[in-house]
Amino acid sequence: MAKKSVKTKNPRTRAIVSLVAIVIVVAVAAYLALFGFGKGTMIHYLKPWGEAISLGLDLRGGVYTVYQAENTDDPEFESKMDSTVSILTSRLTRQGFTEATVTRQGSDRIRVEIPNVSDPNEILRIIGTPAQLYFVDESGNILMEGSMVKNAFPSQDENGQPCVGFELTDEGARIFAEATAANLGKTISITLDGETISTATVNTVIAGGSGQITSSSFTADDVKNLSTLILSGALPLNLTQLEVSAISATLGVEALDRAVQAGIIGVILVMLFMILRYRLCGVVADIALTIYVMIVVLLLALTGAQLTLPGVAGIILGIGMAVDANVVIFERIREESAVGRPLSSSIRKGFSNALSAIVDANVTTIIAAVVLYAFGTGTVRGFALTLGIGVVTSMFTAIFVTHKLLDLFADLGIRNQKLYVR
Amino acid sequence: MKFEVKNRLKPCAALSIAIMLIALVLTLMGHGMNLGVDFTGGTIMTYNMGQTFAVSDIEAVLEQNGITDAQIAQTGDEGTQVQIRISDKNNTDDLRDALETELSKTYPNMAYVDISRVGAVAGRDLINNAIKSVSFAAVLMLLYIAVRFDFYSGLAAVIGLLHDVAIMISFVVILSDVIRVETTFIAALLTIVGYSINNTIIIFDRIRENSHKSGVRTKSREEIVNISVAESLTRTLNTTITTLLTIVTLYVLGVDSIRQFALPLIIGIVAGTYSANLINGYVWAGLMDLRTQRKQAKA
Repeated sequence: MAKKSVKTKNPRTRAIVSLVAIVIVVAVAAYLALFGFGKGTMIHYLKPWGEAISLGLDLRGGVYTVYQAENTDDPEFESKMDSTVSILTSRLTRQGFTEATVTRQGSDRIRVEIPNVSDPNEILRIIGTPAQLYFVDESGNILMEGSMVKNAFPSQDENGQPCVGFELTDEGARIFAEATAANLGKTISITLDGETISTATVNTVIAGGSGQITSSSFTADDVKNLSTLILSGALPLNLTQLEVSAISATLGVEALDRAVQAGIIGVILVMLFMILRYRLCGVVADIALTIYVMIVVLLLALTGAQLTLPGVAGIILGIGMAVDANVVIFERIREESAVGRPLSSSIRKGFSNALSAIVDANVTTIIAAVVLYAFGTGTVRGFALTLGIGVVTSMFTAIFVTHKLLDLFADLGIRNQKLYVR
Repeated sequence: MKFEVKNRLKPCAALSIAIMLIALVLTLMGHGMNLGVDFTGGTIMTYNMGQTFAVSDIEAVLEQNGITDAQIAQTGDEGTQVQIRISDKNNTDDLRDALETELSKTYPNMAYVDISRVGAVAGRDLINNAIKSVSFAAVLMLLYIAVRFDFYSGLAAVIGLLHDVAIMISFVVILSDVIRVETTFIAALLTIVGYSINNTIIIFDRIRENSHKSGVRTKSREEIVNISVAESLTRTLNTTITTLLTIVTLYVLGVDSIRQFALPLIIGIVAGTYSANLINGYVWAGLMDLRTQRKQAKA
């Protein structure tokens, strides 16, 4: 009994401690979000969160092109589309464009986006190059070209490890037999666009015109991709360029700068409005809003979602909408307090009255976001993701953060109702 | 603050229908939406002229090359950039050469910024896809609302949503001199789908609550809606203000592409607030009353 009374005696002290702790955590997180941590001096450099968000083509500049695939009536069209996408992706990656994206658009189109390239004609040079496969000896001399390979397919070596089986043309078989004879006991490597993908020691003369490319690191997927790559000096499907476009980086940077500027001013205006309109509750809403903005930015950085211009605008709009849940709660609290309830009970009652509206409103919006994400392409999909992140986060901050903060403020002993509600 | 709210469904519905009819007539007369190259296909060339320039100089060079239907827009911070949109998709290399040679005589500092070639297919696909996903989302939302509220609430909410989208499109037609439909417009439409449903639910939640409240539930449905709208009005207005604060800031400070996105959003937000307060609740009351009448007629 005695213990319990000690605990409940100082709700005010506990409230002050909690509030100070929350403010410190929020301030530190905000500092990290804005400036990062240990720039250049530490081993673990934390980037400012905003920098970690990957930007869409319209914000960073670059080129994109959309290809239309032909022979759609091919029975293996689906798998050929997939391997075309994977071939294009690996071609881009091998040439150092790691941030380029290749996506299927609709059933028979492929969209390629390459950031930080400004000439639309570059795209042809970059992905138009067929993969070059060579068999080379220890000193790097080319023994045989990939065109001598008649067929390549996923297979398994004697240990059950995935490998690529290949068959050579007649000419290839003859050359390969000579080459293996000349390199007995030495190694022969297989290179793809200058990169060694497999090295094997020649134990016997291979005269049958068939063999295996093995590597201990091969996975089933690697093997599948590699066999398509080898076969695809040409791509498995004929592609025609439907559109090609370049977006200048300067235009994108200007658009982003202005949008961010508008976002900051918009947030400040909303915060001022909330304080003017709801006083102490407005302060609570502003703390919740700060947390909301940080969570959204963090989630965008963590999920690797590509932020496009409509996405930025969506987030800024989301800020306005995020305040909504708070407004709903405060209005309900005001109603309860108007009929003469004491403050803490007004908060409890008002909050529970507001909850069903907040949950129903947000769940319906989440349904829309999920459907748009699942069925949408391009702009629609990116937008749906930012919308979904925004709605879920705003629901979380309203239900947990705002509620907790309101309770703490009430415990603080500021019981002048005029400060909470007008 | 106490508000007095009355059923004004008829004049409001008339106003909305009038706006939609104006847009329809304009479209039939050939003044439809101002579709961007995303939807029509074509080429966009952007140059920085390095100084202020006369649009007529550029028109002259284009005409020399047989292009008379180009859209020329002055863009950039100091208005020194020019965007030339032409419907031709293919042989723009010669045109680029001609433009650069001819124009650099008058504007020695001109610099190429970018060129985009787009097909109409991409835009059409995007629209088809958006329509499909929104329809599917609308059905799911209707189901959710039908479970949490009642079927007619779901129906009324979806009608309200379609109303907001239709009003937004109508204004895009009416203001076609100012608003150009780019792919971002699709994103704006989708935002309004979410926003509209959000607003409606807050009021429907009030209606649901008041329908069970002693002293209120005996009143007619129309009166319950009046009371519910009035009780939610402060919230609705405050939320609309905060949302508009951010989006208007975005419009004022944004570049052209952001403005093309922000303006339809502003229209949609106003339309959403309007329908949530003045239309949707009364549509629900009307539908419910109709059902009661039919049930009574049967019995």
